[in-house]
Amino acid sequence: MAPLEATLPKSRTSFSMAALFERFGLAIFLGVLLVAAALLSPTFLRPANLINVLTIAAPLGMVVIGQAFVIMVRGLDLSVASLMATVAVLATAFKATSNEAIPAIFLAAIVFSALVGVVNGWLVAKRNVSPFLATLAMMIILQGVRFAYTGGAPISTLPPGMSFLASGRIWGIPVNLVTLAVLAIVLTVVLHRSRFGREIFMVGSNPKAAFLNGIAPDRVTIACYVICSVCAGIGGLFLLGYVGTVSNWVGQGYELDSIVAAVMGGVALSGGRGSILGALLGVAVLVVINNLVLLLGFPIEMQLIIKGIIIIGAAAFYRTRLV
Amino acid sequence: MTTLLMDLRRNRLMLSYLIVAVLILLILVAGGALSDRFLTWRNVTNVLQQLIVLGLVSLGQTFVVLMGGIDLAIGSLVGAITVFLANFLDWRPDLIWLAVPLALLAATSIGAVNGILTVVLRVHPLIVTLGMSSVIFGATLMYRKEPGGSIPRALEDIAYRNVAGIPVSAVVLVVVFAIAALWLQRTRAGRNIYFVGGDPEAARLNGFPVGRITIMAYALSGLCAGIAAIFLTARTGVGDPRIGVALTLQSITPVVVGGTILAGGRGGVLGTFLGVLLITMLNSLLNFVGVSSYYQWIIQGVIIIVAVGFHTVRRK
Repeated sequence: MAPLEATLPKSRTSFSMAALFERFGLAIFLGVLLVAAALLSPTFLRPANLINVLTIAAPLGMVVIGQAFVIMVRGLDLSVASLMATVAVLATAFKATSNEAIPAIFLAAIVFSALVGVVNGWLVAKRNVSPFLATLAMMIILQGVRFAYTGGAPISTLPPGMSFLASGRIWGIPVNLVTLAVLAIVLTVVLHRSRFGREIFMVGSNPKAAFLNGIAPDRVTIACYVICSVCAGIGGLFLLGYVGTVSNWVGQGYELDSIVAAVMGGVALSGGRGSILGALLGVAVLVVINNLVLLLGFPIEMQLIIKGIIIIGAAAFYRTRLV
Repeated sequence: MTTLLMDLRRNRLMLSYLIVAVLILLILVAGGALSDRFLTWRNVTNVLQQLIVLGLVSLGQTFVVLMGGIDLAIGSLVGAITVFLANFLDWRPDLIWLAVPLALLAATSIGAVNGILTVVLRVHPLIVTLGMSSVIFGATLMYRKEPGGSIPRALEDIAYRNVAGIPVSAVVLVVVFAIAALWLQRTRAGRNIYFVGGDPEAARLNGFPVGRITIMAYALSGLCAGIAAIFLTARTGVGDPRIGVALTLQSITPVVVGGTILAGGRGGVLGTFLGVLLITMLNSLLNFVGVSSYYQWIIQGVIIIVAVGFHTVRRK
């Protein structure tokens, strides 16, 4: 099966079945999954359910895009979920009841997230702290800051317009999907068509060679952490719009989910390989599986089991290795 | 040349031991100055009783980190074992002699599965143990969603009993750490862990059974998590699937603070022991002074960064 194919030597010039499967395997898998879902559960294809699935997928998609950037420079960001919740708390700190505060909320969220990203990136790139520990520490610190501010109580003072982020439409298309699409397209262009994007791939595949070619790996790495944090911050606001109330755990589990989706989507943990489209396909697969577990009436805890098996399986399939 | 390197390595480790020891002394002094109850025998035994769970999971984590891996399934595993124990025993003291070996066997086997998966699939341990953690947690929740079950008095006793004023659990912890230290330094199997952690490729080329050593390290981590779960169940009296959630990350802090390098091959259990002592006493002090656990999180995060930052600077 999959692991067997992954063990075959890959040549760069010829297209083998394995290479083809690695390239389109996830899309094929998603197709099979969708057909199976439609056959197994009549509810799945109902518009209400599909919209529900996509609404859940959108904030996760935003986080995954950022996570992909960090993973591509051999990193990992465990602080995204904690950041999402902290940004959500930050949004309530305005104590705003009118929609005029929304631009300010967005600005504050983005600036705060960017700062978090700078610290993460600085620790990893300049202080040589392993990404795992740096972002882990950041996760705990943000958690402490957030709880110290809220005292652990949920808050719901939010401008009414925040729910527009989850249920609003622009020309009939859900606004969260539009945002996700814009984010994905812009960052795909950045990744594949810009100098900075090329530098990301170079730093990810070989930091030393990148340095010798006149690239500053540290700056590229820090930029990737900033992109990741900002994406997570925006995702946090959209998730907040969906949930409506700030518990202190908004986004809990997104750190694992975003890594699962990115790895499943072919973003190599060893760095230098991956695409945003792939990562988003990973999100789609994850969300559909989660939805299917519910529709088929399995206990929700089964999502955890399936997710765990999938991440190990996907990583084995791509035979990725962290440095 | 090799001996010189060994000496340097020793010294660097000694330096971090020294720093942690000084910090512990500082906490003692600060605690004595800030509260007249901090240095009472009662609080000391209280802190000693608290050491066992964090101490054991951190010891397990140390084996894995020294070998160059990481175990993120510890917390879920501890939760799963507490649920098993409390529901299996359900007040019956006559079942203890069956439940405890079963719990340890299960924990060791699950740990070994972590190791086997990393070896066979050649997937990074971060991913394997993260995935396994999700699987174990999900399975435990499917069995019992809420804390429940109960344990017989006889088992509860091991967490709270004092002999000559000293908590039994603290004695157990010291003995286990002493055995672990001797095992790592004086036996072939223990030293193999350092070799594999230092350079797995070189170890493989030199004919070390890298796969077997890897699996052994994870199995030991599982065993430690199992023992920790027994003491934790004895302390709390119930099986709680979520009780271990925070333990995974907590188990890493003392290891890193104690000077063991996350990349593997360098460090030791004495550092972890000092790290556990430091963290537990710091938390106790902060509780005494009335600092909420929220700030304790912030402090823990800062400690990780400072500790790791310190070691990386030394490496340069």
